[in-house]
Amino acid sequence: MKIEGEFEVEAPRTEVWKKIQDPQIMGACIPGCDSIEQLDDTSYRAQVSVKVGPIKARFNLLVEVLEEQPEHTILSRTSGEEGTRASVVNSDNVLRLADTDSGGTRVDYVADVSVTGRLGKFGLGIFRKKADQLAGQFVENFREKLGVTA
Amino acid sequence: MTEVLSPGTIEEAVAMLAEYGEAMPLSGGATLIAMRNAALVEPSHLVSLDRISDLRGIDRTADGKIRIGAMTRHCETAACAELTGSLYVLRRAAGMIANRVVRNMGTMGGSVANADPAADYLPALACCDAMLEIAGADGRRSLSIHDYIDDWYETALAEGEIITAITLPAPVEAPSTYRKIARVSGDYATASCAMALDPDGQGMRVAIGACGPGPLRDRAGEDALRGKLGEPAAVAEFAGKLVAIADPVDDVRGSAEYRLRLIPRLVSSVLSELTTQKETA
Repeated sequence: MKIEGEFEVEAPRTEVWKKIQDPQIMGACIPGCDSIEQLDDTSYRAQVSVKVGPIKARFNLLVEVLEEQPEHTILSRTSGEEGTRASVVNSDNVLRLADTDSGGTRVDYVADVSVTGRLGKFGLGIFRKKADQLAGQFVENFREKLGVTA
Repeated sequence: MTEVLSPGTIEEAVAMLAEYGEAMPLSGGATLIAMRNAALVEPSHLVSLDRISDLRGIDRTADGKIRIGAMTRHCETAACAELTGSLYVLRRAAGMIANRVVRNMGTMGGSVANADPAADYLPALACCDAMLEIAGADGRRSLSIHDYIDDWYETALAEGEIITAITLPAPVEAPSTYRKIARVSGDYATASCAMALDPDGQGMRVAIGACGPGPLRDRAGEDALRGKLGEPAAVAEFAGKLVAIADPVDDVRGSAEYRLRLIPRLVSSVLSELTTQKETA
């Protein structure tokens, strides 16, 4: 399942890049992120809780940065499982930053996500809607961290 | 291991739900038990509502309204002779849920609480302007069906609250029906349409199911359409407004695009079925 989107923030690319590099800022922006720690230069561990109706899941995720082109591209891979409940999630992510005409930054993201196990039994259609919502919340939180409203 | 509790009253049930944070209310179990078996939910306790007599039965209140106890099974709703005219839509929807086994098991309260966007009751209840009676540890309240769905599988029910009854306005003499497009008989809807004509035949109420987190209803659009049901262009314009507020998923039952195409077709074909019924009545 591909989750993709883009958003613009009224902040210069250098500043957006700096914020994206900071795991504590990113952790605070990711909806449901209970904790995040940096393991080494390129890997992070994060606990993320997601709830869809009566179904609650807590993921233990490893995020590895595969390739970084400073101030414009990050390729990363997320892998992890969900507590004791045998769902496995994998995702390949691409994040791109570009300047906008008005001096802001456009952020494009694509994540190719696969979910297997108990949560795989739940409809993918709903996953996508939930993912879009979470992305929307992330953007809102991220803008707040950058101190811009739109 | 899940422990099953069997309270005898609504008050006991909501007190148990408040006491055990990971408890879930169990009504008919048609969906919840399957979800538990698939390890999608892992409640510490199941608070069975089965022994609570206040949750049963379909009654007519003094002012003519119909009150359906939350534990009323789909098969009882499907056979209820009180659901005539403008309320026939609900009876029809009940009869189209899944299969006989599920209809003998599942309850209206349970289905509404689960809030599956592709299930059959929500659009029918939205078409009937139903009210939900809700009980929780903090007391009772009632809520319009139109204010009930917050998001995908998210409702206005707070933790520990249960639906106790569904109240419908008194039935009036006007045709109504429910139609669903499904891959096979008894499947969840790919898209569905609950519709009731006004008694004078000049207007209608319509709710579309399975094309968003909750039923789609455009009451302002319905008002604007009054007197123009015979004008295909006006009906198409109205259906276009429903398409505009739709937000369907892409899933095994159909693509989002396909669902959007079904909406205007459902509206015009169900409308023509009801108008024909009205004319020949």
